Amino acid sequence: MEKRFELIATSEVLSPLRKELRQLLTSAGWEKKTVEEVLLVVDEALTNIIRHAYQGQSGKMTVDVNISDDKIEIVLEDQGIKFDPTQVPSPELPRQKPGGLGIHFIRTIMDQVIYEGDKVEGNRLRLVKHK
Amino acid sequence: MNINVTSRGDIHVLELSGELDYHSSPELREKLTELTAKQAPKILVNLSGVEYMDSSGIATFVEAFQKTKRYQGRLILAALTATVRGVFEIAKLDSIFEIAPTVAEAAGLLGARA
Repeated sequence: MEKRFELIATSEVLSPLRKELRQLLTSAGWEKKTVEEVLLVVDEALTNIIRHAYQGQSGKMTVDVNISDDKIEIVLEDQGIKFDPTQVPSPELPRQKPGGLGIHFIRTIMDQVIYEGDKVEGNRLRLVKHK
Repeated sequence: MNINVTSRGDIHVLELSGELDYHSSPELREKLTELTAKQAPKILVNLSGVEYMDSSGIATFVEAFQKTKRYQGRLILAALTATVRGVFEIAKLDSIFEIAPTVAEAAGLLGARA
């Protein structure tokens, strides 16, 4: 099952997207724990786009979701400032200062995190989770 | 996100419900900052109604926790849902925060009188 979400880069879109994505993943038979973890990853990646790629300015972002029985693949794209989250150093845990955990969540939860910013004008992040 | 603030003796209780993310966490930060600015000695956060939390929510609690430590105050998180607890565990922060299974136990840890 494939679905594309076209979004305005603002924090208000996060909750409605999670709701729709939760329904899609659940109806595809994925267990609740994995569904919630993948929602967290998408949320963190989009928050990074809003904060770092667009720096609070308006812009567009897309989320392409490909769900099968044994794999969830998500591709996020934006046209903002280049920001490669895979190059951000891992935080030392437990982190007792606010911030810096989003990328740790993405790396910990997903099986593959691939930055493809060289293929697009802005940023493209490919995320894969296997069953 | 709904935030209900009440007092129980010298304990300030924040009851949260809904989703805590980059959009809603500033509202929680504002409420917690009000309490830490006046050096509220005991803060209990009831998370039983929070079905979702991201790193913005964690960062908000980390900031408040650090502030309460500076003035020897206490911040206890209570009644975490499985999803929210999972987020604390991935962040390895479940051992840093004071976390109680129920609101009653959290109140007991803070010395609430029956």
